[in-house]
Amino acid sequence: MTLRVFGALLALAAGVAQAQSPETLSWLRKINEATQRLSYTGTFVYQNGGRTETSRITRYVDASGDIEKLEVMDGVPREIVRTKDTVRCYLPDSRVVKVDRRTERGFPALVPERISALARHYDISLGETRRIAGFDCQAVVLTPKDNLRYGYKLYADVNSGMLLRAVTVDAGGQNVEQFTFTQLAIGNVTRDMVRPRHAVRAWRVEDAEAAPARLAGWGLASELPGFHKITELKRRLGESRPVGQMVYSDGLAAVSVFIEPLEGRRDPVRTGLASMGAIHIYTREVANHMVTVVGEAPAVSVQRIADAVEFRRPQ
Amino acid sequence: MKDRISALMDGELDDKAAAQMIETLARDREALETWGIYHLISDALRETRRLSDGFTARVAAQLAQEPTVLAPNARLPNRQRQPRRWYALAASVAAVALVGWLGFAPQETAVAPVARAPVVSQPAAEVKPAVVPALIPLPSGTNDYLLAHQGFSPRVSLQGMAPYVRTVSEQLQEPRK
Repeated sequence: MTLRVFGALLALAAGVAQAQSPETLSWLRKINEATQRLSYTGTFVYQNGGRTETSRITRYVDASGDIEKLEVMDGVPREIVRTKDTVRCYLPDSRVVKVDRRTERGFPALVPERISALARHYDISLGETRRIAGFDCQAVVLTPKDNLRYGYKLYADVNSGMLLRAVTVDAGGQNVEQFTFTQLAIGNVTRDMVRPRHAVRAWRVEDAEAAPARLAGWGLASELPGFHKITELKRRLGESRPVGQMVYSDGLAAVSVFIEPLEGRRDPVRTGLASMGAIHIYTREVANHMVTVVGEAPAVSVQRIADAVEFRRPQ
Repeated sequence: MKDRISALMDGELDDKAAAQMIETLARDREALETWGIYHLISDALRETRRLSDGFTARVAAQLAQEPTVLAPNARLPNRQRQPRRWYALAASVAAVALVGWLGFAPQETAVAPVARAPVVSQPAAEVKPAVVPALIPLPSGTNDYLLAHQGFSPRVSLQGMAPYVRTVSEQLQEPRK
């Protein structure tokens, strides 16, 4: 059963044409606001392509901004701390801290006009109510209007708007990715709770040195329906590789195009499609550069964006 | 121990390690319970359809009546993902114990018929890429790409840092045997 049919059935069952109603959109706004406004600490399970991982997330808000800390509890220890304009990823096993600063406009926000724009590519409706980790939640269902994007089921706390579960669904109706809180406490977060656990004095620092830039000559021969370029920058990846990055988004899903010179590269480029649950990565060569396209979008979208990447010598 | 049970579930153990783990499961009640719980968690997360009552018992009974085939299967050398075969074997070892285990698992009675309907694949009006791409393992440095990408995903404004967990499982990059 396709998602569309599923969505239609839901709407029929409800007996109301709820799609894109102001109430539905206001739910998305409510989730967005809760994400900006609330302090919380909780444990969630992430599931992607048959892999399950538990993480702890803590968010602290005060007048000077907000700080968020994410600790992955399974497998290789990792800790990511985001302040207003910087993301630091601590890898204690390899004693590396990866630093990513935002110089332009900080992190993308799902502003109200963009929420309304989502309705162009998704049918948005209210789904069932369900209790998750002790919170009564309302489901908001986003059903894609084509197969260039996934569908989503977002479960938000009826009272606070806090997102308790997010499920990504493919065109066949299968769950490809899921975030679910198993425990959550809203409020009562102190500054100490979001401090990084690690003293990094002797660690190697990998600074992305991201800076807005125009990647002269690079672009897409044709954009994918609904996906527009939201930013273009230069940065470093890993220890030193300088790369260009262009990001395309339909308002909910994002796809990044990374461009690196092949010159001086030791290993041959392995071209093709790799996947990890909802994430697809497509690698190809264009004009003596390696192009790597990464996104939480169906394989067809990632590949079509990759295939459209071209270099035209600037005039 | 829990790491290894989880690795067995994911088909990540080599033949020898998997065989040892299965022996442990057959011997160690606590390990077997963990195995059962992990599967239940995994099923719950995937919203897998519940089996009908007594399913395990019926399968076990049918298996007992099947004649034993002694001719061994030819072993395929170096097949990719071969360790996954252990998964099936381990599952059958665990099946007997699961009969008892399911006995006290909470039974869900209310099942939403729409949500649980079997998925029928339909040839929808699909947009297909021009060329079917070669499937390759995740490129080296996948984490760096994901970390660089994640901050631009609008998902961040709906669920904060949570999508950053996508960046990082370094184990993903280990080559599978």
